[in-house]
Amino acid sequence: MPEPITIFVDDIAIETTEGANVLDAALRAGICIPNLCYLPEVTPTGACRVCIVEVERHGRTKMTAACTLEAREGMIVRAHSEPVLRARRNIVELLLAEAPESPVLQALAERLSVTDVRYSRRDRDCILCGRCVAACAEVAKQGSLGMIGRGANRHKGLPFYKEEYCTQCNECHDRCPLELSPSGRRGDHCGVCGSELSMNDAIPDICEDCVLS
Amino acid sequence: MPELDSIASLEARREEVAFTLARYRTVVTMCGGTACQACGCQPVARAMTREVMAQGLEETVYVRTTGCHGFCEQGPLVIIDPGGIVYVHVTPEDVPEIVAQTIRKGKVIERLSYTDPVSDKTVQAEDEIPFYTRQKRLLLGENRHIAPRDIDDYIARGGYSALAKALDSMTPEAVVEEIERSGLQGRGGGGYPTGKKWRQCRNASGDARYVICNADEGDPGDYMDRSLLEGNPHSIIEGMIIGAFAVGARHGYIYVRKEYPLAVVNAGVAIRQAQALRLLGEDILGTGFDFDIQVVRGGGAFVCGESTALMASLEGKVGEPRPKDIHTVERGYLGQPTVLNNVETWANVPSIIRHGADWFASQGTERSKGTKIFALTGQVKNTGLIEVEMGTTLREIIYDIGGGPKNGREIKAVQTGGPSGGCLPTSQFDLPVDFDALYEAGSMMGSGGMVVMDDSSCMVDVAKYFLAFLQDESCGKCTPCRLGVGRLLEIVTDISEGRGSLDQLDLLEDLSWTISVASLCALGKTAPNPVLSTLKYFRDEYLDHIENKRCAAGVCRALIRLVIDSTLCDRCGKCIANCPHKAITGSRDTSYAIDDELCTRCRICADACEQHAILVR
Ligand SMILES: Cc1cc2nc3c(=O)[nH]c(=O)nc-3n(C[C@H](O)[C@H](O)[C@H](O)COP(=O)(O)O)c2cc1C
Ligand code: SF4
Ligand code: FES
Repeated sequence: MPEPITIFVDDIAIETTEGANVLDAALRAGICIPNLCYLPEVTPTGACRVCIVEVERHGRTKMTAACTLEAREGMIVRAHSEPVLRARRNIVELLLAEAPESPVLQALAERLSVTDVRYSRRDRDCILCGRCVAACAEVAKQGSLGMIGRGANRHKGLPFYKEEYCTQCNECHDRCPLELSPSGRRGDHCGVCGSELSMNDAIPDICEDCVLS
Repeated sequence: MPELDSIASLEARREEVAFTLARYRTVVTMCGGTACQACGCQPVARAMTREVMAQGLEETVYVRTTGCHGFCEQGPLVIIDPGGIVYVHVTPEDVPEIVAQTIRKGKVIERLSYTDPVSDKTVQAEDEIPFYTRQKRLLLGENRHIAPRDIDDYIARGGYSALAKALDSMTPEAVVEEIERSGLQGRGGGGYPTGKKWRQCRNASGDARYVICNADEGDPGDYMDRSLLEGNPHSIIEGMIIGAFAVGARHGYIYVRKEYPLAVVNAGVAIRQAQALRLLGEDILGTGFDFDIQVVRGGGAFVCGESTALMASLEGKVGEPRPKDIHTVERGYLGQPTVLNNVETWANVPSIIRHGADWFASQGTERSKGTKIFALTGQVKNTGLIEVEMGTTLREIIYDIGGGPKNGREIKAVQTGGPSGGCLPTSQFDLPVDFDALYEAGSMMGSGGMVVMDDSSCMVDVAKYFLAFLQDESCGKCTPCRLGVGRLLEIVTDISEGRGSLDQLDLLEDLSWTISVASLCALGKTAPNPVLSTLKYFRDEYLDHIENKRCAAGVCRALIRLVIDSTLCDRCGKCIANCPHKAITGSRDTSYAIDDELCTRCRICADACEQHAILVR
């Protein structure tokens, strides 16, 4: 049994277990850390960097992704400090410029008050978050979809680009942020980030677990 | 070969080897590193062996082909001992004369001697060459004495005595302490204290432990790790055995990029020789310690030099970094505690154990100890591999060892630390080579690339070059690095093509900061350095490109025009014949002109023009 421990996220004490996923622990405790590539049912990859947080260690602060961070007793995490918000906004701005029409990215941008996109807009059908690849490997247990190439050439694909390696189970499509739309009614304002997204019924004034998390 | 089943038998072999070598009156040394092979050292070596036999000297003359000496620009090199007489740019045709004159009669052939480009004087002896005298060649210097595929050469130089000392009279704990006290820091880029890394691995819990040598060396222009592994593979193997003993590992790997075929072969041969002598394998030197090494070839992706990507690649997975919140000393190869060190780091280990931590720590600066090898390239008179004591200033390296600027131009910057290092201006040339000093100035030690640039380099273009490299080599997994570096490149390209605006400079800084704090691995975290350091020290060049649409160095193609100075042009027609785009018109009777629309600014015409009549505007 992993040890029960306490961590502090934005000065709020959270009971969790040694080695637990910090993003998951925070979300469960009702602290909204925006995220994108994270899927609770698969091994986190830390690819999109939207869930970036500051963590204090040995007296030093460093930034890292919350979804790949393992909780340790007394760990101090800041999910909404000035530098964290600045980095997170800039990351979402980069993503939004890739697929400006995506409702999910628009919602994420709104939640973070990203209004201005300082780059030329592209219209990509994939932002390479890797959710589909992880779902294919770990949910569908096919391991067919993969990332091919490096750097600007990176793209997702089936082995040898052959359709026959796909069983059409749709686990990937069900998780694609460019194919999903954020859920729910609009109008209320989240007490944490101030965005106009649907509210969580269980915890007042905090965004509902939208389809992203 | 008889196995060495005790430490005494190693010492006995050393004496035997020394006795055999002492028989020779003359030793002829030829370099055979990859660079020298490229300039034709192999035919020279063959000719030398043949000629020595032909003149019936094989009983008294020993011919040895070694790894790289670092002075590649002058290769093929031939050195004749005793006396250390050195010949440069030797061809097979020179060999009979060398044997007849120098080896037989001790006469120096002036024609083949080295001429120092700074003083214009000829230098006869190797140890008088200014390029060498300002260096401290603790590691590289050994290459000259060792035939890489002959373990006895290494043993003759005292090889494996550090291993014997560690196994015989030290505990693993004492070895770790010795390395800690020496102050040795990783030479692969990060400068992490090696002893501390070993201790963390030793203290971590796991079912097995591993040691790995990182010979992926992917920085463009670097070849110090290759030269060490090719030229003196046993020093790395000995270092790794000592490291394995210290942390309790039974298996080790040398991860070499496959573009280094000679290093792969030499490392493999060295391992087999060490196994045959029982310096590797079970019951090393009869002490009961077991350890073995395997060579693994990497596919040549730059990012695979990163520790977690390298280990993923070793495991047969895609070479992509993983988050390092838990370090590889705790959870590395196969999830077990692993020590990964750079080639040069491992090569330093035997001499620290042999001569002691205090000896090592007495060299260098307060904060950085020992020596560092650099690949000195660019616009200086002498280029090659150099090794200097930590604390040597950039100025000493560039002007004293490198011999200063070429072609009467003016040096304006040095780029240190590889693609994600930084560019430092001449005002920073008094900085010492020291991990912290370089970092604080906005660059880094990196693995040891050093590119000297003169006023023919445009710093915006330099930043663009490195960004393009990093964008291609990014694994593409995380957003800031994949998209962010791409956007940096887009913006810098805009600036270099005259589409830049002043607010883009703020965006460059904001985005650079984001990439450096939020990227998953160190490739992304350091990728903005080329932009940040050029913005810091050469902002005026960015402003010139943006405000005046001018590239003072005449490099950025979109901002320059080539014109023909009719007062210099003698209408010879060479430019017309050479222009691949048929952009030049003119004849004997009509003056020459370049069509701006057709011209791509490739400058082939300017290189062809003997009158220097083609000007860059
Ligand atoms: C993108 C990237 C490439 C790297 N390439 C190399 C390399 O080619 N050789 C190397 O020794 N270290 C390289 N490193 C550094 C290694 O991750 C690691 O820090 C080093 O091998 C540790 O050994 P050291 O402590 O002896 O320096 C690279 C790091 C990054 C982020
Ligand atoms: S920083 Fe770059 S190289 Fe490193 S994981 Fe992210 S995309 Fe890959
Ligand atoms: S990196 Fe954590 S959600 Fe993408």
